[in-house]
Amino acid sequence: MASVCLYFQLHQPYRLRDYSVFDVGDHQSAYFKDTTDSNKLIFQKVAHKSYVPMLKLLLQLLRKHPEFRISLSASGVFLEQAKEYAPEVLKLLRQLAKTHRVEFLAETYYHSLSVLYSPEEFKQQVAQHQQLIKTLFDQTPIVFRNTELIYSNDIATEVSELGYVGMLTEAVDRYLGDRKRTQVYRSHNQTPLPLLLKHAQLSDDIAFRFSDRNWHWFPLGVDRYLDWLSVYSENELINLFMDFETFGEHQWADTGIFEFFATFVERFLEKDWNHFVTPGAVLTSASKKVAKLPVYDVPEPISWADVDRDLTAWVDNPLQKDTLLQLYKLESAIKAKKDVQLLADWRRLQTSDHFYYMCTKWAADGDVHAYFSPYEDPYEAYRRYSIVLADIKERLLE
Amino acid sequence: MNHQNAQNVFMIGWEYPPHNSGGLGVACAGLTTALSQKKSNITFTLPYQHNKTVNHMQLLACHDPAWSEPGTTQTLQPPFLAYSHTSAQSSSITEELDGFKLRALPHSELERKVNEYAIRVTAGALAGKDFGVIHAHDWMAFPAGMQLKQKTGKPLVTHVHSTEYDRAALSTGSHFITNTEFEGMQMADKVIAVSYYTKRLLIDRYGIDSHKVEVVYNGVDPLSSNPERTRSFASKRPVIAFMGRLTLQKGVEYFIAVARRVLEQIPDALFVVAGSGDMYHELLFKTAEAGVSASVLFSGFVRDTQKEKLLSRADVFLMPSVSEPFGLVAVEAAQRNIPVIVSTNAGASEVLPHSIAVDFWDVHKMADAVVSILSDETVASGITTGQQADIAKVTWDNAATRVQEVYRKAFIGAP
Repeated sequence: MASVCLYFQLHQPYRLRDYSVFDVGDHQSAYFKDTTDSNKLIFQKVAHKSYVPMLKLLLQLLRKHPEFRISLSASGVFLEQAKEYAPEVLKLLRQLAKTHRVEFLAETYYHSLSVLYSPEEFKQQVAQHQQLIKTLFDQTPIVFRNTELIYSNDIATEVSELGYVGMLTEAVDRYLGDRKRTQVYRSHNQTPLPLLLKHAQLSDDIAFRFSDRNWHWFPLGVDRYLDWLSVYSENELINLFMDFETFGEHQWADTGIFEFFATFVERFLEKDWNHFVTPGAVLTSASKKVAKLPVYDVPEPISWADVDRDLTAWVDNPLQKDTLLQLYKLESAIKAKKDVQLLADWRRLQTSDHFYYMCTKWAADGDVHAYFSPYEDPYEAYRRYSIVLADIKERLLE
Repeated sequence: MNHQNAQNVFMIGWEYPPHNSGGLGVACAGLTTALSQKKSNITFTLPYQHNKTVNHMQLLACHDPAWSEPGTTQTLQPPFLAYSHTSAQSSSITEELDGFKLRALPHSELERKVNEYAIRVTAGALAGKDFGVIHAHDWMAFPAGMQLKQKTGKPLVTHVHSTEYDRAALSTGSHFITNTEFEGMQMADKVIAVSYYTKRLLIDRYGIDSHKVEVVYNGVDPLSSNPERTRSFASKRPVIAFMGRLTLQKGVEYFIAVARRVLEQIPDALFVVAGSGDMYHELLFKTAEAGVSASVLFSGFVRDTQKEKLLSRADVFLMPSVSEPFGLVAVEAAQRNIPVIVSTNAGASEVLPHSIAVDFWDVHKMADAVVSILSDETVASGITTGQQADIAKVTWDNAATRVQEVYRKAFIGAP
């Protein structure tokens, strides 16, 4: 059987409160804190259902199985909220880090789309995140995962300039063709980076289909899942990438997701030839023979979202495009102002979720967007966002 | 001939504040209050039970029990809203049937409801005391007015606050409604139009005899205190306001087009669209497509405190209506010393000769007007001073005097 590489994403945005037109210019008003403190409530709810139980489970598994290893990526805005709203989550993450078998990946602090709009801002956010991971977990990430696994040849160039040994992204058929997603590729640019591609089928069997009663394979047992993995040969690599909230939030505890995962790890490790690997280890060795790797040529940005696996979840309709444009137009004025709070607010507005909520492609993915949105509809997401943008502009006039 | 009898008015309404206080309800309140001060005795019908005390006239609920609120025997709202907007309402009935959705109802259903109201109004009128004049407000009341005139032979005055052509932004709307308006005006002894703009429309589009149509401008309630200009929000940038339903009739897309042009010259300007309506989503897209997402904000429907907040803050009020019989909110803006730019297709432009009147489609000219007001204090103050003189004449007392003249003409059969 092949090696398995696990990567789980930890992220929570700062959702906007119902900021009113009549609050524009009111310095007492915070953008992200409403009277009920929804962000805190949501974070604590998810911590209770997912973060705490799953982190504890991972810790148990790591203690019990010296061969077990995983990678995590946690956005800066996630870690900020964990510190403020659920310190236990941060404590558990630190304990995980101490095992030295949990690799933390690099990403943008604000889980932003900055690489598409401002390479300068992108670099600053990556550096800010790097610093935070070092401070909290005493690790220096060597592998980069961009927001929502957004990737293109150009993005690879940006990332290689930052010195990372490799990147994670999605395997998209229109660029991969019928080639295997279970091997390491290299980017198509001047300074090639080794790449790990997500195994969407096997990842989404857990992340999306696990509790779907209409799914042919429901209920999914560990035996069957191991059978599916066993078709891959020893030198192949199965990249299981998913949201951390899969465990306990997207799939509730009563679906048996925790038991499934624990049993999967134990049973997988029963066989000597099975291995869990981390992106850092795989990509470091791959980087030594990068020229020999097959090329993954991605001229237009891809992502791991929706059926389209492109940018259209965030950058598609005029509502999304113009708010992004207006936001990044403010960059030089914001930075010239040298106001720490203003800069932090502007950066929190860069979090990709704000644009995800404005998505209006109500096709197969519509209900997924609706599930994740705190607002009644994409129009409300846009309306609030534009008011906050106007307020940011007002602050620049001071 | 008993002139005194023309003082006894049987008035057929549809809505009354605080419920559904769209333009029609507000106008009925202002007018009846002033009329009663001038010794008119008014019986005022509503298609629901009004639960607030009204002292200046007798209210008569004429409703079908089937229109009751779910689970009660009370009817506290009209069975559907004529054209006032809905987000302020809570009743399930009104949420389902706002003005524009109403116009899309099957004709048979509209007809059934309006006819049912007519039957109940007629029964109520015949059971009550004597009256000299019938006064019906807008098309929902016209069938009742016509029926009552047929039964009693009393003169009928139909009052046009808004026509189907206005609501359909000058294209063809509901044939049933247009026809009801036409028949009501045909059978009327006198027709009251709220502006010369509306009078022209009644003559041109409905073929009503011009001698029959009298123009009576609405009034506006005086402010309880001197208007104060406060910079309660967005204090560092000029604010340009739109207030009204987000429909084709109100020309909101021209407001956005104006914003785009003004922003080229005054990048800090902030445009506020206050209101809700069926064009809302489309207007958000238009705003984003124009690249002005951070400068054109949508507040949603505003009333009371928020409405005052916006009016006391706005530096320019823009009403680019495609067709507006009167446009009370422009007068309210003028009251609060905001320079008003108003569509030539709006009755308000007639009562505010000192405001700037521009064709609603002339985006360049409107943008120039906004820029000149914002960049020259003397232009702004010239307009607001003139507007104060204008609104001194816009009173419900003046309106009531004119309406009583119309009653007398109707009563004696004078042209």
